[in-house]
Amino acid sequence: MSERAKEIEKSAEEIVESFVKDAEKLPELKETYYSQETYNITRPDGEPSPEAERLSFRRKFISNMPGSDDKGNLKVEVAKWSKER
Amino acid sequence: MVQRTLEKLAAIKRGEISAADSVAAALELIEKKDKKINSFIELNQNARADAESLDRKIKGGKKVGRLAGLVIGIKSNINVAGLRATCASRTLENYTSTYDADVVKRVRAEDGIIVGMNNMDEFACGSSGETSAFGPTDNPAAFGHITGGSSSGGAAAVAANFCDICLGTDTGGSIRNPASHCGVVGFKPTYGLVPRQGLIDLGMSLDQIGPLSRDVAGAALMLETIAGKTGNECVMLDVGKVNYSEKLESKGLNGMKVGISPKFSELTDPAVMDVIDSQVEKLQDLGAEVVDVELPNLEHGLSAYYLIVSVEFFSGTRKFDGRKYGKRIEEACGEEVLRRILRGRYISQKEYRGKFYQRALQVRTLIRKELMSALKQVDVIVGPTVPKLPHKLGAKLSLMEMYAYDYLTIPANLAGICAGVIRAGEVNGVPVGLQIQGKALGELDALQVMRSLEAIE
Repeated sequence: MSERAKEIEKSAEEIVESFVKDAEKLPELKETYYSQETYNITRPDGEPSPEAERLSFRRKFISNMPGSDDKGNLKVEVAKWSKER
Repeated sequence: MVQRTLEKLAAIKRGEISAADSVAAALELIEKKDKKINSFIELNQNARADAESLDRKIKGGKKVGRLAGLVIGIKSNINVAGLRATCASRTLENYTSTYDADVVKRVRAEDGIIVGMNNMDEFACGSSGETSAFGPTDNPAAFGHITGGSSSGGAAAVAANFCDICLGTDTGGSIRNPASHCGVVGFKPTYGLVPRQGLIDLGMSLDQIGPLSRDVAGAALMLETIAGKTGNECVMLDVGKVNYSEKLESKGLNGMKVGISPKFSELTDPAVMDVIDSQVEKLQDLGAEVVDVELPNLEHGLSAYYLIVSVEFFSGTRKFDGRKYGKRIEEACGEEVLRRILRGRYISQKEYRGKFYQRALQVRTLIRKELMSALKQVDVIVGPTVPKLPHKLGAKLSLMEMYAYDYLTIPANLAGICAGVIRAGEVNGVPVGLQIQGKALGELDALQVMRSLEAIE
């Protein structure tokens, strides 16, 4: 990790510690993950998109890829960070 | 005060001014003035053609939408097909959106003309508008000062008269904070009212998309355009079409109860508070009953928020690994984005989850309960938006000084309630905004208070 990243990580951890101190005297309550409990969380099943729309999306998606082969398949190098593990 | 948005809309619909001329004038103004302000990252090359197409529709006597011909800017973390959703980061600087977000589909369906993608704090991580990889945004209402953030470009584009309305996003105040500093109207909807599909998240349990506009009517029109459930989004309230603009009246506030908290003056610069107090007096003159409400733990929301948002941001950014699109975020992003990722990673470690993350979610419950309890006594709570005046661009602030901009806006996100901002006055030529927090789905009450104040200016 670079010096810059180490410094940033240190400042990130300091904020976390200051939170723990700040929250010391506050009551323990049930956690709130989302603010409401009445979300419409099930989606209706839909029809698949028309083929022309899917192909158009694929073309656009490929244009954003860092690399692709002749058939439009994604080409990537093994990521550096996976070698570091 | 004249409702400029409604007047312009009516003139376009009557054919007195063309949408093409309106867009051309906006683009000319942007060309002339935006080098200094830096409110746009990219302009839409199809905007003129879209406006011409709308003009043909009007001439042909066809029905047009509620945003017909209005000039719209979109924050760069919302997908607009064919334009770059950079999130103002080198990570996504070459990423062209492959689809329209649900809110963008709705804007297009109502004939709004999208002129471009607004500048913002990188990945919405900032409260000043200075962390963009494309440079900071200057404040057209107080040149040389920050605009606030993270929806910096949208607020500046409205303040500079480039756009009628812009879409911003608000996770801890990112619409309301720049609205206050730039002297425009801003509105954060109730969480779950507006679909987030197509938004590149900062914090998925907190983010909402909402309008920045010249006047309350513009905010109401945009809000009713983008609100309502969709099958594409699973975390939504079961709300269909809403209508605010036809119900807003330039009337008094008889029968309305408005809450203020003594906590606000404890946390706020006295000069800002003087401006806010004068607005509270006006609310009383309009017939509202003003009562004190208790928010004893308001300030504890800040640190809880920064922990929660870091965990959600860390999770949301794992897809930016540079493989399918863009660059690996940790290698391309700026300092504040990296800080939030590293903080989120630290908190997410198994051994720290209970100590930090779950504790933050408990504090969220505390803040939510206090706000809900206060809003049982009153219709809205009014107070300052930002506790201090905006600093000069480039001034060095400590991290906690920077985060402190968000003290008063974060609680509404933690509780999931709605909140709007309207210009209240100014201190030494710098705008100050009044924040009106409403109940969950209490948008109409909050907008009505804003419109009543606007009408007497």
